[in-house]
Amino acid sequence: MSDYLPKFLYRLRFRTKITLGVAIMLIFCGLGIGLILSGMSSNALLLEGKKRGMALTSGLAFHLAEPLLSMDLLQMKNSIDNIRKQYDDVIYIFLTDASDNVLTHTFTGGFPTDLLRVNLDSRRKQPLLLTTERGPIYDFNARIVLGESNLGTVRLGLSRSDMDAQIYRQRLTSLFSTLGVVGLGIVLALWFSRTVTSRLNRLRKSVEEIVRGNLDVQVGFSPEKYCWELIDCNRRQCPAYGDVRRRCWYLAGSLCPNCLDREYPGKMESCRHCSVYKHNFGDELQDLAEAFDAMAMTVKKHIDELTEREKTIARQQGLLKTIMNVTPDFITLQDRELTYTFAGKAFCDYFNLQEEQVVGKTDCDIFPSEQAELNLREGKEVLLTGHPLAKEMCLKRLEEQRWFHVVKVPVYDENNSIMGVLLTARDISMLKKFQAQLIQSQKMEDLGRLAGGVAHEINTPLGIILGYSQLLMDDIKDAEVLEGMKIIEKQTKVCRKIVADLLGFARNSQSVSETVDVNDSIRNITNLVEHSFFLNGIKVLVALDVNIPPLTGDEAKLKQVWLNLLNNAADAIGKDGMVSVQTKLDPQGERIEISIADTGKGITKANLSKIFDPFFTTKEVGKGTGLGLSVSFGIIKEHGGKISVLSPPPAEYLPEDFAQSKHMGPGTVFIVELPLGSAPIK
Amino acid sequence: MVSSRTTISCLCMILAVFFLSSCRENEETVKVSLEKREDIAFKQQLPAITYAYLPQYAHTESFQRHHLLVEYLAEETGLAIRQVFPETFDDHVKMFSQGKIDISFSNPFIYVQLANRFGAKAMARIIEEDGRAEFRGQIIARRDNQGIKSIKDCRGKSWVAVDPSSAGGYLFALGHFVDHGLKLDDFKEVVFVGGRQENVILGVYAGLYDIGSIREGSLNVVKDKIDISQIKVINNTRWYPGWVYAYSPRLPQDVADKISVALLRLDYKNNPRHRAILDAAKCIGLVPSNDRDFDPVRDLSKKVGLDLE
Repeated sequence: MSDYLPKFLYRLRFRTKITLGVAIMLIFCGLGIGLILSGMSSNALLLEGKKRGMALTSGLAFHLAEPLLSMDLLQMKNSIDNIRKQYDDVIYIFLTDASDNVLTHTFTGGFPTDLLRVNLDSRRKQPLLLTTERGPIYDFNARIVLGESNLGTVRLGLSRSDMDAQIYRQRLTSLFSTLGVVGLGIVLALWFSRTVTSRLNRLRKSVEEIVRGNLDVQVGFSPEKYCWELIDCNRRQCPAYGDVRRRCWYLAGSLCPNCLDREYPGKMESCRHCSVYKHNFGDELQDLAEAFDAMAMTVKKHIDELTEREKTIARQQGLLKTIMNVTPDFITLQDRELTYTFAGKAFCDYFNLQEEQVVGKTDCDIFPSEQAELNLREGKEVLLTGHPLAKEMCLKRLEEQRWFHVVKVPVYDENNSIMGVLLTARDISMLKKFQAQLIQSQKMEDLGRLAGGVAHEINTPLGIILGYSQLLMDDIKDAEVLEGMKIIEKQTKVCRKIVADLLGFARNSQSVSETVDVNDSIRNITNLVEHSFFLNGIKVLVALDVNIPPLTGDEAKLKQVWLNLLNNAADAIGKDGMVSVQTKLDPQGERIEISIADTGKGITKANLSKIFDPFFTTKEVGKGTGLGLSVSFGIIKEHGGKISVLSPPPAEYLPEDFAQSKHMGPGTVFIVELPLGSAPIK
Repeated sequence: MVSSRTTISCLCMILAVFFLSSCRENEETVKVSLEKREDIAFKQQLPAITYAYLPQYAHTESFQRHHLLVEYLAEETGLAIRQVFPETFDDHVKMFSQGKIDISFSNPFIYVQLANRFGAKAMARIIEEDGRAEFRGQIIARRDNQGIKSIKDCRGKSWVAVDPSSAGGYLFALGHFVDHGLKLDDFKEVVFVGGRQENVILGVYAGLYDIGSIREGSLNVVKDKIDISQIKVINNTRWYPGWVYAYSPRLPQDVADKISVALLRLDYKNNPRHRAILDAAKCIGLVPSNDRDFDPVRDLSKKVGLDLE
C-alpha cells in the first residue's frame, strides 16, 4: 500500500497532480479553517446570546426599580410583557421582591414553582442552563439593587434551542461558503494547472517533434510587439530584425547599443535593464519555451551545417573511392599494428580478394608466410625509421609474371607521430618489357651497324671470289672441278644474298614514293608464287576489297613484304595447305588491313614476341637468314604502318571455305595495317 | 520514514482542527419543569407607618436618600415604618389626604397645603448641606445666553419650571419675579415640564427654554450628567423655611413624638451612622419646627395667587 500510493501519484498526469494537490490543500485548509471559524463563531454566538439575555435581564432590572418601589404592578407587568413579546426566544420573565414574593410574571395558568428553587443566587455565574419540557433554557438572574439594598430579582428565561438553531444556520452557511470557496479554488486550480500544463505539453510535443527529427518547432508564444517595433530602430541588418521566433536577447550580434556585442548568456546582464526585455519577458515557462526555440533553431542550423559537411565528405569519399577503385595502382593503408585499414580495388582484384577480406587483416592472413614476413619487416622498418621505402618487385601469379614499383611511406597523424604505412605499387611490367625491347633494339641496332660494316667489307671479296670463280669455270674443263667451282659460285651467291640482306636491314635503302595499288601489288606476287605453291600442294585464296584506294609508298618494297610473308606461309605449311590473302578497308576509310593467314604449324606463344627480331628463325639451318620478317617490319614501319602476328588466327581472318584438316597446323596470320593518310598508325 | 512522519503530522493537524472546532464549555444543567404550575398570591404587607418623600426626584433617588433614615426611624422607635412612593406632588397630597402617608417629608408649600387642608403638623425641618434650615430658589439660564444677565432681563423670555406647585422650583421664583415687578404675563411662556427638577435644568441646558427656576442644590444632582458650568444662576430668591417633616393628624401623638425625637436625635457631627443617614438624605441635621415657621410661605402664596387653603 505504501508503495502503491507513490507509484499511483507518480503515474498521474502533471495537471492532475497540480489540481489534486491544490484541491486537497483547499479542502484540508478550507474545512480546517471552516471548522475552527465555525466553532469560534458558534461559541461567539452562544456568548452573544448569553450577553443579550443578561443585558435584557439587567435592563429590565434597572427599569423595574421604579415601579417596584412604587409597587406599580401594572407597569411591572407591562414591562416584562413588552420584553416577552418583543423577543420570541424569551420564554419567560418574572419578578420577585426582596422577600422572594413573585410580583409579576409572564406565565399563564399558574407559575412553575420549580423556578423558585433554582438559580437563586445572582452572584453565581449567569446564566444557568435549565432542561425543561420546552427544551434547554438559559435562566438569567439579575437583582434590583439600589445602593446596598436589594429590592428584588428579575429572572428571564431565554431559549437555548433558538440559539442552537442560529448556530446551526451559521454552521450551514459556513459549510456552504467553505465548499463554495473550495469549489471555486478547485476551478481556479484547474484553470491554473491547465494553463501551466498546456505550455508544458506544447514543450513536450515540440521535444517529440525534435526526437522525430523535425527541428522546425515553435513553443514560445509570439509577443504583442517585436523588438524592432518597440524601439522602432529600423536596423534591418540586425539579426534580430524580422526574427519572429527568437527573442533578441538570445541572438548574438544584435545591433542595439545596449547589447555590447556580446553573446547569450553574457549579454543578459545588460538585456535585463532593456525596455524590450521588460516588455517581452515572460515567466519561467515562457523563458524556457523561448530558450528551447532558440536551442532548436541553433541545433537545426548546426545540423544543417553538419548535413552539408556530411554530403561534402560523402562526395569527397565517393570521389576518393572512385579514384582508388579506378586507379590501376595498388593502394593499401596499414595502421601501427600493420593491420590493413584500407585496400584499393586494384590490389583486391589482383589478389582475387574482397575488400572485407583484407581490411582488419594483416599480411600473415593474406600472403604466404615468406612474402608476409618480408612485408611485415618492411612495414616495421618504415614505422620505426619513418623513412620511405621504394623497391621493384616481381610477382608471379597464375604463371604470369608482373613487375611492380612498390613505395611504402609513413603516415603521420595530427600529433606528427606515425600512425600507419601507406603502400602504393604500380605495375611496371610493360615498362620492363619496353626496357627489354629497348635494350634489344639497341643491341640489334649495334648488330646491324656491325653487320653492315662487315657486309660492306665482305661484299668486295665476295665479288672478287664470284668473278674469279666464274672466270675459272670458263677455263676448267674437268667436270669434277667444275662441279666444285659451281658449288663455290652457288655458295658465294648465297653469301652475297646474305650480305645484301644484311645491308638492306642495316641501312635504309633509297625509298621511292609513288602511288601504289595494294591489290595489284598483292595480285602480282600471288600470281608469281601461285605455281610454285601449287607444286607443293598449297592453295592460295585471294579476297581483295575492291574499294581500297591507292596509297603512297614504295611498291617494290611492299611487294617484297608480300613475298616474304607468302614465302614464310609456304615454309610454315610445307606441303598441302592453304594460304588466305585478304585486304580490307576500315569503316573510317583511314587505313588498309592486309592479312595473310596460313594453315601452317603456327608459332608458339613464347616465339610470337621474337619473330620480328633479326636473325630469329624457326626454319631449318640454311633455309632462312632470320632477316625476312625484320626487313618486312622495317618496310611497313617506313610506310607508317604496323605489322603484327596472331597464332592461331582468329576466325575473322579466315575465309568461310578455308579448309581445315587434321594434318594442318594451327596456322598463323600476319596482319599488316597501312595508313591511307600521312599519319602513321600507332 | 518521511512519509510516516508526514502522515503523523497530518493526523495531528486534523485532530487539532477537530479539537479546536469542538472546543466548547461544558455547562451545568438543571432539570426544571415548566409544566408544574401553581397559583401564587402576593403576600399581604404588614401594617406600618408610611413615610413619603415628596416625589421631587425619581423613586430610586428618593429611596436611596431616605431608606436609611426610614430604617433608622423604625429601629429607633421600634415601629414598623415603610417608605411609600407617590408618583407626583398631587399624588403625594392625595395619598396624605387618604391616610396613605403618615409622615410626609415635603416642601413648605405642600406642607402648608397639607396643614391647611388636612391638618398636617410640622415637627422638624432639615438643615441643608449649606448649614441652613431654609432654602431658596434659583433662576438659571445658559451661560452663553448673553441676553439674560439680571432678573429684569427675564422679561419676554420663556420660563421653564418643574411644576406650578413646586416651592423652590417655581413658587419662590414667581414670588421673586413679583417682587421685581414681573408677572406671569411678562414672560413669553411659562412651561411646566413636570416630573423632577432635573428636567428643568436639562431643558435650559438643551436650549429649549431661556430661563428656568430650580430649587437651590438641584444643579449638583445633575453634575454627573451634564456640564453644569454651562449653566449660570441669574438670581436667587429670598430664604424660605426648608423641607419639613409633618405627620398626619391620624398618627397618634406619642408615635409622632417618638418619631420627632428620633429625627431630632440625629447627630451629624458625632455619630458616624447618623452622618451616613443624613448624607444619604442630603442634609446635615434637623431642627424642631412648628406651623408658624411657614407663615412666609403663606404670604408668598397670597402674593403669587396660590391657593393653599
